[in-house]
Amino acid sequence: MTLWRLEWLRLVRTRRWIVLTFAYLFFGLLGPVSARYMGEIVKRFGGGVTVSFPDPTPADGITQFVGNASQIGLLVAVVVAAGALSLDATPEIGTFFRTRVPSLARILLPRFAVTSAAVIGAFALGTLAAWYETVVLIGNVPAGRLFVGWILGAIYLLFVVCVVALVAARTSSVLSTVLATVVILLGLPIVGIVPDVAEWLPSHLVGALDGLVRGVNYTDYLRAAVVTVSAGIAALWAAIRMTSRREL
Amino acid sequence: MIRTKGLTKRYGDVLALDDIDLKVAAGSVYGLIGPNGAGKTTLLGILAGLKRPTNGSVEMDVSSSDVAVLPDTPRFDAWLSAREVVDLARNIGAKPAPPDRVETVLDEAGLTDAADRPIGGFSRGMLQRLGLAATIVNEPQLLLLDEPSSALDPIGRREVLDLVSRLRGESTVVFSSHILADVQEVCDTVGILREGRLAYQGSVSDLLSKRTTPRYLVRLRPPIEQTVEALRQADWVVAVDQLGPDQVRIEAASVAAAESSLAAVLAQTQARVVSLVPEAATLEDVVLGIVT
Repeated sequence: MTLWRLEWLRLVRTRRWIVLTFAYLFFGLLGPVSARYMGEIVKRFGGGVTVSFPDPTPADGITQFVGNASQIGLLVAVVVAAGALSLDATPEIGTFFRTRVPSLARILLPRFAVTSAAVIGAFALGTLAAWYETVVLIGNVPAGRLFVGWILGAIYLLFVVCVVALVAARTSSVLSTVLATVVILLGLPIVGIVPDVAEWLPSHLVGALDGLVRGVNYTDYLRAAVVTVSAGIAALWAAIRMTSRREL
Repeated sequence: MIRTKGLTKRYGDVLALDDIDLKVAAGSVYGLIGPNGAGKTTLLGILAGLKRPTNGSVEMDVSSSDVAVLPDTPRFDAWLSAREVVDLARNIGAKPAPPDRVETVLDEAGLTDAADRPIGGFSRGMLQRLGLAATIVNEPQLLLLDEPSSALDPIGRREVLDLVSRLRGESTVVFSSHILADVQEVCDTVGILREGRLAYQGSVSDLLSKRTTPRYLVRLRPPIEQTVEALRQADWVVAVDQLGPDQVRIEAASVAAAESSLAAVLAQTQARVVSLVPEAATLEDVVLGIVT
């Protein structure tokens, strides 16, 4: 049994991978359907109110997916990551690991890597589902732009897992890790209200998939991508350092 | 093996450990005893590297990779099996033991039959056995055991004590316990903590011999009142307790006085002696005298 296999088993035996995959896949399948049939849905359940919608564009299918995935999907990802990265949530389990490994990086890196892979994999499945349904139901979506948008979204998700690791180094339970991380992630867009700051923030990447499909220039996300990667690496490094220095 | 100097740990205004000078010899079994809140778990935590002392130093002749810790209530991820936990403990250390060692320690811990069951359904006693198996799998040079037998049934407790006894000479064991009979049985050195201070440190035999008052249990054919009265008059006798119609406990001022005078008093009163045994002091008697 290795620490890598342990993390794999954590995903499989606790069925966390199913929850993650379901969250992203569900919205990947539902987003384009709701974009395509929103008019009919409102007409059927609108109680006689007439609302006219413009014909859906292929980008609308992706927009619906991104809107749901960046809320519910992200929350599920944070919970799954917090469950894996809150090493000291159960002090006796923390003692088991801390007193055996020469360096805490050996524990945290597999937890970070496996959780990140699961989150990004689920996001990929959701994106593929949204792409397929959009093409089938509404129209063609440029694959190159979709792929780059997915890459940028994945970078943001990696950053989120790094933030979870950093928060978990200071908190004492899974719940407090989740809550503190959510507060930080919600705080970023608020900081972005300051003029000219938003495009530098990691939260700018949340809408990259949607924006690129709608024709936004690639370079609009370059600064946020560089900041996000740098901040993620710094957060992970700080998480390992703070967890190592923490008293149990 | 372990030497601490002026070890102090403070949590805010609370002084958990105060100027502890611990000396644990290599290959010995050291018992750490004291009432709840005396600082035993904090001291073990510092020795394990899980806590930092506020002041003082810890010197160990063993690398951190050769130290294993067993918390008082071991817990593991509930979706793992016992075999996986022990194999994980074996494999993630700096010097992994051979894989076949997993079966050996599972057998020693009495968990072979439950080895492949998810540990989510394990009792506290089984978890303690599992924790012990995971602790010894890599044959560490230093074991820090926090109340290793507290949750075990009598058979499990006996097995743990036998296991600790077998480790003597091969590994150094520091273990805390509330069960003083266990400490008396397996430890050659004890440290008694009281309110964060080391109230006593030394061998169990020294503790028992130097800190106890010589007592004797004497059984006589009734009537025994005349003998009891004569004993109460003797100047070398500290106390006499009549325990029944045929039994008396005598507390003497010294062993020498009792050995030279007790038989004479019994002879003078023409007592018919059924038995006469020195009453061995228990660690519990001595520790209660120190910590209260």
